[in-house]
Amino acid sequence: MSRREDIEAGLARLVAASWVERLLLSLAALAASIVVGGVIVVISGMAATCEEPAFAFFGPTSCYDPVGVYVQLFQGAIGNVLADPFNFQIALTLKETSLLVFTGLSVAVAFRAGLFNIGSQGQLVAGALATALTVLSVAPFVPAGLGAIVLVPLGVIAGAVVGGLYGAIPGALKAYADANEVITTIMLNFVAAQIAFFLVSSYFSAPESQSVETRTVPGAAVLESTLFGSGSNFSVFVFVFGLALVAGLYYLIERTAFGYDLRTSGLQPEAAEYGGVDADRTIVTSMALSGAFAGIGGAVWVLMVTGRFTASVPALGFDGITVSILAGNNPLGVVPAALLFGVLKSGSLALQLSAESPPKQLVGVLRGLIILFVAMPEFFRFIGQRFVTTGRDPVATDGGKRVEGARASTGERSDSNGDELKEGEP
Amino acid sequence: MSTARLQNTVAEYGLRRLLAYGAGVLLAIAVAYGAIFPNTAAGDLLRVALSESTLGAALRLAVPIVCAALGGIFAEKSGVINIGLEGLLIISAFTGVYVADAVGSLAFLPGIWVGFFAGVLASTLLSLLFAVVCLEYRADQIIAGLAVWLIALGLAPFVSQVAYGSVNTDSVGTLGTWTIPVLSELPFVGSVLFDASPVVYIMLFAVAGSWYVLNRTSFGRHVRASGENPKALDTAGVNVTRTRYVAVALSGVLSGIGGAGLSLGQVGLFIGNGQTMVNGRGFIAIVAYLFGNYNPLGAFGAGVLFAGLDALQLRLQQIPAYAVPSSLVQTIPYITVIIVLALVGRTRIPSAAGEHYESGED
Repeated sequence: MSRREDIEAGLARLVAASWVERLLLSLAALAASIVVGGVIVVISGMAATCEEPAFAFFGPTSCYDPVGVYVQLFQGAIGNVLADPFNFQIALTLKETSLLVFTGLSVAVAFRAGLFNIGSQGQLVAGALATALTVLSVAPFVPAGLGAIVLVPLGVIAGAVVGGLYGAIPGALKAYADANEVITTIMLNFVAAQIAFFLVSSYFSAPESQSVETRTVPGAAVLESTLFGSGSNFSVFVFVFGLALVAGLYYLIERTAFGYDLRTSGLQPEAAEYGGVDADRTIVTSMALSGAFAGIGGAVWVLMVTGRFTASVPALGFDGITVSILAGNNPLGVVPAALLFGVLKSGSLALQLSAESPPKQLVGVLRGLIILFVAMPEFFRFIGQRFVTTGRDPVATDGGKRVEGARASTGERSDSNGDELKEGEP
Repeated sequence: MSTARLQNTVAEYGLRRLLAYGAGVLLAIAVAYGAIFPNTAAGDLLRVALSESTLGAALRLAVPIVCAALGGIFAEKSGVINIGLEGLLIISAFTGVYVADAVGSLAFLPGIWVGFFAGVLASTLLSLLFAVVCLEYRADQIIAGLAVWLIALGLAPFVSQVAYGSVNTDSVGTLGTWTIPVLSELPFVGSVLFDASPVVYIMLFAVAGSWYVLNRTSFGRHVRASGENPKALDTAGVNVTRTRYVAVALSGVLSGIGGAGLSLGQVGLFIGNGQTMVNGRGFIAIVAYLFGNYNPLGAFGAGVLFAGLDALQLRLQQIPAYAVPSSLVQTIPYITVIIVLALVGRTRIPSAAGEHYESGED
């Protein structure tokens, strides 16, 4: 074997190894979160009051049984799947999953470019509002029969464009004014929520509604559920569309010239710039693309779930951060990570319905715990070393690829985690 | 290349200074106009902005922002970027109310103060968890900080729901106000500064204390060295990791004062829906210390400025002639933060911030 082939074979092994390590890290983080979450369930069960404690240990009693809670979560998410594979709970799970795919992709694409987009939530709000207003204002001029063909794509495009523009703002501020995108995107989340509230309550409110929301979009623009029965608010079409975007983004990042620019700016901005990548433009474009994905998420939320824009937007953008981090910022990983959160969120409704369960906010706690554990691969390596010895170096938490000089997350603040978090060497 | 860079820097600095001066001049014109013509809108605005109640409210609203910002300074000066300040505020705001309600009074301590200290303790413990994750297990500080925020954002409403059946807690009353005898009789200043909530006094003390500790004590020198040149500090025989632990713990203590000061000092209950009652103050705190260039006094100024805007909009809501939609006015602090950040851009941050350090590294 020639020297070159040797190196190539080594590299291929490395990529595979780091991929496996990512997967193991995500699974370990998940397991650890479930354990810690279980402890929190037991402790909160001791504080709660109930007729009949689930169990007692050495005196103190707890109202909640942690294993039972997780079983209930899972069963609530899939329903009686054997009797009816197209049941209502499955539809709810897939609804949440497909919504999270869009925001997960949104965070992932920015992260791969070395940018921390915490603003998916705001971009989603901007996109959702744009979708609702566009569809509502265009609908009267669209001839009957053409409604779905014209209004749905138009609404999605409006969401993508406005979400993309809103994402481009922190991108431009980062590229041309050196403003840290972590802070600006967080601030823009608040701004988007307040401005949307103002616009809807002052100009676009539904006449007879008590809450701050727009009128309902015409039925032709609503993405109907064909497979799962109406009322489930889930359209298989959207799920397939989400998967297509996953494949498209994967191809864009891994196979195109723009994807190359994006990845190299994320990995080594100095080298990328030396190699002729226009760093400023890459930052703005990646943030715009990131915002567009979030905006599409907002469009889907309006057209598939609510049928209108309401000021109480669920925290899909923040969940997208967790989804992306859990997925190692790989578009392909976004699907299983989104599915996991889909299960958690739709299962949490089952918790809400049952009197003996902890509150559904448990899912929020689990979300934080998962991020915490994914952030500390060293912790699992430390535990792993007690059982097996490996000669491998650690992987970075964010995509497993960050090396010295990365522009990621902290911008110019840090030279990244430098030596110790370099991608593993054989 | 260096010449081009120098030119760039000068141009940029010049532009920023120009913008800052421009804003200052505009403000001065507005103030002068308001002072000369008191019957105009500018006059009204000036009167409202300078009224005792607005200034008092500004100080009160500044407590969570300024205290968290002071904490952020300690952590970041020592080389640990703590983006989880928001989470620390949330956890202490909730714990303060919960404990005050659940435990009641101890022998010499009213229940509300028991809650206050419990809030500070909870925030400190969470910041220590963050420190362990970052310093022992070398986690990415931004992701770990995000985790601290999200854990608190999930945990506080969760526990509230368990204990109260709602994400909002019951009301437990506030810490009230402490009136300083004699000084509070002073015209104008008296009612603003010396007839205030105890947490306002604690904040003022914390600002002065933080400045003193950072600039005049050996611990402050160690903190600064730990963020600028940990290797040198290590060589000098000081334990870098321990210094960072103490600094991060201090960020928990100070944020804890801010969070408990928010719930127990102002409102008397914890509001847990949406982004919770903390509502981004932890992130504004980060901008406050960046704006104040890591100086506790500067962070105090920036924090009072942001809180002042908030106080002003709250006051303007009460004047029918200026009934600006509150949702729009509430965006002002956030937009200000973005503009400030765009103008200030890259601040001079501690050079080792975000980096891990291990004794004996090459």
